[in-house]
Amino acid sequence: MGRVYIVDEDVEEYLSKLCSQQAGPVTGLLIGQSSGQRDFVVIAAPTPKDEESAGKTVDKEWVSEHARQVSRMLLGGLTVLGVFMITDADAKDTITTLRQLVFAVENLISSEQKWSPAEDDVTDCVTLHVNPKTRKTVCRTFDIKDPKSAAKPADLKYQSGVGSCWTTVSCWLNVDLLIPLPDSRASKENSQKGLQVWTRQIENAVCLIDGKKLPEDSELTSGQVVYDELHRPLMQCRILLLSAVRQEEQRSADVVQPCGGSVTVRGAVHCRAFLHTHKPKVKLAEKLLKRDAISTVATRVQMLLDEPLASEEQIKDEFCLPRRIFCPLKSSGSLYVCDYQFSDEGLSEIVDRLKEMLGCSFPACGIYLPSFNRTTPHSLPLTDSYCHMCVNVFCSFVFFLPSGLGAFMAAAAALLATAASMMYYSDM
Amino acid sequence: MVVAEPTTLIIFRVKGSLELRCHLDSTETSHIQKVLSRTFENLRAQIKSESCVFTVCNTPVIIWPNKDVYEDITPDSPCEDVLQRIQSDEPESGGKRATKKKGKKDLSASVISLRLMMEVTKPGPLSAPVISKTVQKSHFLSATLPLDCAVRTHSKDTIKDVCDRLLEALTQQLCEMEKVMLQHMKGSTLLTAEPLHFLLPEPKGLVTVVFPAGVPDKELEAQRRELHQRFKLPNDRPYFRRANAYHFPNEHYKDGYLRNPHHALTHPTLENGKVFMVQGIYSYHHYMQDRMDDNGWGCAYRSLQTICSWFQQQGYVEQPVPSHKEIQQALVDVGDKQANFVGSRQWIGSIEVQAVLNHLLGITSKIMFVSQGSELASKGRELANHFLTEGTPIMIGGGVLAHTILGVAWSESTGQIRYLILDPHYTGSEDLQVITEKVPACT
Repeated sequence: MGRVYIVDEDVEEYLSKLCSQQAGPVTGLLIGQSSGQRDFVVIAAPTPKDEESAGKTVDKEWVSEHARQVSRMLLGGLTVLGVFMITDADAKDTITTLRQLVFAVENLISSEQKWSPAEDDVTDCVTLHVNPKTRKTVCRTFDIKDPKSAAKPADLKYQSGVGSCWTTVSCWLNVDLLIPLPDSRASKENSQKGLQVWTRQIENAVCLIDGKKLPEDSELTSGQVVYDELHRPLMQCRILLLSAVRQEEQRSADVVQPCGGSVTVRGAVHCRAFLHTHKPKVKLAEKLLKRDAISTVATRVQMLLDEPLASEEQIKDEFCLPRRIFCPLKSSGSLYVCDYQFSDEGLSEIVDRLKEMLGCSFPACGIYLPSFNRTTPHSLPLTDSYCHMCVNVFCSFVFFLPSGLGAFMAAAAALLATAASMMYYSDM
Repeated sequence: MVVAEPTTLIIFRVKGSLELRCHLDSTETSHIQKVLSRTFENLRAQIKSESCVFTVCNTPVIIWPNKDVYEDITPDSPCEDVLQRIQSDEPESGGKRATKKKGKKDLSASVISLRLMMEVTKPGPLSAPVISKTVQKSHFLSATLPLDCAVRTHSKDTIKDVCDRLLEALTQQLCEMEKVMLQHMKGSTLLTAEPLHFLLPEPKGLVTVVFPAGVPDKELEAQRRELHQRFKLPNDRPYFRRANAYHFPNEHYKDGYLRNPHHALTHPTLENGKVFMVQGIYSYHHYMQDRMDDNGWGCAYRSLQTICSWFQQQGYVEQPVPSHKEIQQALVDVGDKQANFVGSRQWIGSIEVQAVLNHLLGITSKIMFVSQGSELASKGRELANHFLTEGTPIMIGGGVLAHTILGVAWSESTGQIRYLILDPHYTGSEDLQVITEKVPACT
């Protein structure tokens, strides 16, 4: 009995559309959530066209890079489940190509993830081959943990409303980190260690739902529910940090160490995770929410840590982390994707970027930011007044690495005039 | 505070670690002091903040003491309510304990463990995340402070009172840790601080002292002397060595040996009889422990190990309990045995035990000879006196058997005597129930 992939009807429709376009082979990513023996696919994101290699063979690196950036746009609970390819080439050749693709994609994504894998994680990934002429689909899964894994058969089922009725858990996480920088530029690993301590703390933290610590196997049925601007319910969680893990023997020599500087990160981040059932298990909810927290902080911080300062003489620098913007999926009643906005970007750029990366459309009155209460701590900036605080280190910023994709940025800038209306999450 | 009924005492113990982290621009002493003080100030503010949380282990009770938010309990509830909520009692390593013993030294108190946690989620007000980066060759201080506070309360005290006292104790402990760290700072080398609890004779009770971590006992003599003075304790026996630290009833011993298994027994009643017992803590050593098969020949070695454990745990010596080989080597070193004695399976007797105690631990002992077992009864007075004044375990050996006497029940008027024996011939596991039931404790 292989895995069963339950695909949303909108996704099916989209794949059909791609088939009828007949623009040569199309590759893309399947996005959704895995659980037990079943997986739920809610997005099919085609790989953006690469002008340089248009029409040539499938570029593994290009697809992997696309996947890496897409996975940053996914909130807790949604992951890249596999790849699809629409081509009339021979099934046997395609399966080989797909196999290479899916391993490349998954290896790149898992090398980036900062949270530790759990024992009950599903390690199967799907490859879907659709023949545009016959509309025949071939669906296989591979075990990513095993490089020699053989293709296993899998079933595809279409259903409407796969993306509706998901449970959402969320929280505002207060981050207050002080991380030493490595003494020599050469050792990049040391800067990762500082975050690792925090990551482990979050993984071991106690999660309260409605103020109570619920047993792991119980179901999440009720809780403190608030509604967002689009009247979608969010279950609020609270995270209690277990005090730092005690090092049994801390030698006096270890207490003070030379370093090359330090980094502080302070502020609140919004974390969210989705679970596909009405009554998800508490253990799963906690795991996914924690993973989202770790990903969003680690992603933003790590990128900034690796970035050198603008000039050599500059000793101290302060800037805002890119803020997280949430965008609801049209096809789904309760799902969102997100993106990170830098100070010099407008919201319409975000929308366009999401469209390019994910291939789906968003409702016109769609995106919003979870808002912060207006506070006046003198040293900390408010979300709206980013501009004067930010240093323009990020112009060359790495959010879209391959130069080819830079074209999108230019195109998006030209579309600035099309402003999407913004909705702010109202203060509670 | 005078305690009327010792059995209604409850100890609330909160444990947790806080991270001490700061960036040091220079390693100049005064700069380090300033930065350290500032960092400790921040930590104290954390304890006083609304994010500070106490969770009661093994219960669903969660308390935000600075916000007056109590989950699953009300602030006015008496402490004993918390006891009722503890679902599973952690069994001591090696079996179940008998409940409610009447020990003189033992508090007979229940211990409720709490964990200190920090909440990291907030409903608001919030601020946008800001990153600040400083690139400069400098130093970084990173340590984990193991906070550990205990307060004794009456069962009728309210939870709110207890939480207030715990908060105060935590803040006080942070101050003491700061003091200890600054005191023991040498240049740019710093030591972390380590709190230890000590059970002093009533009415002083449970006291917590912060020591610098990793500094051996002999270097802390001045600090201990000051403590003896402060608590008006005699200087002829140790109270504040690390080995004297109070062992909470619900904690497991890391080495796996049972401590004072005789506490699980009831005393015999003799007409006009009184009980004279070993004072303090020893660990039970017997055949087959430590993967050493000494079945049939090692009884005196095991008895000697039990005695050594007493001296170590009362803080008189720092040496760990010697192994069979170490005991044999000691006898070779004093010239009592030939070199091939080491690694052999030969018995030893009282004389050898005395020699080893003297050579390895620097302890003098007295040997009392009795030509027959029945003569021992006439030594009742002497045995009773020994337990009263010295309180150490007694090794009794003769011929092919050795045992340890832990106490006597002796009647001065009738001369009747009963012995409390710890039998080293036991070959089973550290299961208290089996040991106290199967092995007859009194002859």
